[in-house]
Amino acid sequence: MRKILVIQEDIVILKILEQLVKINNFDCKAIRSLEELNIDDQQSNFDFIITGILFEGISPLEFVAQVQEVILHKNLLIVTNMGQDKVKQEIFALRGVTGFYTVPIDLDEIEAIIQAY
Amino acid sequence: MNKESLLLSIEIVFSLIAIFWIFIAFSLLYRRIRTSQLRLIEETFADIVSRYLYNDPKNPLTLAEITRTLRNVGIKSKNSNNIQFLIRLMIRTQRTLLGNNFKKLQKLYTQIPPYGVSIKKISSWSWYSKARGIREIYEMNQSQYFDEIFKYRNDKNIYVRREAQIALVVFLGWESLRFLPYLKHNITLWQQIKIVEKLYDLYPRPELKWLHRAYETEKLFGKKLLMRIIRKYELHDETGYIIDHLNHYDYEVRETAIYCIQTFAVSLNKMNYIKELYEDIPNVNQQGLLLNYIFENSEIDLDFYLQQLYSDNEDLKLSIAEILWNNGYKEKVQEFYYQQYPKRELNVG
Repeated sequence: MRKILVIQEDIVILKILEQLVKINNFDCKAIRSLEELNIDDQQSNFDFIITGILFEGISPLEFVAQVQEVILHKNLLIVTNMGQDKVKQEIFALRGVTGFYTVPIDLDEIEAIIQAY
Repeated sequence: MNKESLLLSIEIVFSLIAIFWIFIAFSLLYRRIRTSQLRLIEETFADIVSRYLYNDPKNPLTLAEITRTLRNVGIKSKNSNNIQFLIRLMIRTQRTLLGNNFKKLQKLYTQIPPYGVSIKKISSWSWYSKARGIREIYEMNQSQYFDEIFKYRNDKNIYVRREAQIALVVFLGWESLRFLPYLKHNITLWQQIKIVEKLYDLYPRPELKWLHRAYETEKLFGKKLLMRIIRKYELHDETGYIIDHLNHYDYEVRETAIYCIQTFAVSLNKMNYIKELYEDIPNVNQQGLLLNYIFENSEIDLDFYLQQLYSDNEDLKLSIAEILWNNGYKEKVQEFYYQQYPKRELNVG
């Protein structure tokens, strides 16, 4: 089954994204921080990772770089409330980021992307 | 001090320490229970909202189930702290979503507890509760209470009327400008900025009809607010309104006009008009700011600068001379300089 990893610190956004993913017939792993990942997760190749970038103890850029390095995936979508242009540019400069969405967000866009996959 | 009284003192001290320790233990226990209770409410709310927005036909979520679940985690009318926490969650969630989900949430909020709690706060005697109630209503976009809130736009308490005015902007958008001439109290700079930002966030498309009607306001705070709106939306066609206030009699209106015009590059005709108004500005610092704007946004107009150099206004002559000196008119500055010291016989040796 197609699989998506959702990483969001905000429980409300996390649950909404999890439900959105499940209703679109994807298998979903929803976690609030990278520490909740287990070894099996690190070996799965996720079709999408939908993640925030603001987590305790790590800078946004380092976090994205870490996610890209540690977890196998095909697409990486960022959903965050850090919408400054500078942050966006720096994140895209890392390469491999499929989309960058800032809060407030219209989740229909995310749904359209995963439905089209 | 004899032995008995010493023992008594020690007993008292130990008793006090024991009481403190018990108090701390209770406090820690209470905090732990409360934190887990709040976490449970948050998780339950997250679960409800997610299932409500993306309802699974195999496991549908009903309104009765939502109400029951919330009640089970402590959302009851007698527990105002839990209700307040839920309201905060509701507002936070609504701020994060747009589109259809936003509308769905708006509908959900009218149907679940704590319905009516925010509007009840408005009838409270405390200004703090009133302001908070109004804020919760507009943050959750509960427009059915608009008439109730509208009454407070001229409230004697600054915080209550501030929130009511923001609510007007949230619910009416550009149309809210039509109430500007009828506001009785000053709108502070902070409030002006809040209004402009809220309008821009929620109604990014300008509706000039309301702006033009609002131009008729004689209120000074109204004029300043309108100029800030023009600046924020970068309405180039409306710069005339700002320019007309460059030589206003009120210091702060002029200040706002000069601040706002700096965002725009204006046409040659408008720049010539600004140069005409320049001399009418009674404050030298403001003149300096405008001179800087003129210099940075137009070609060197020798006649204008020479006119200023030879005028009676002594305060800015150095700046004007500097502009001319650095832009290829050294001889004009020298000429002005020597002209101040008519030929005299040199007394040398």
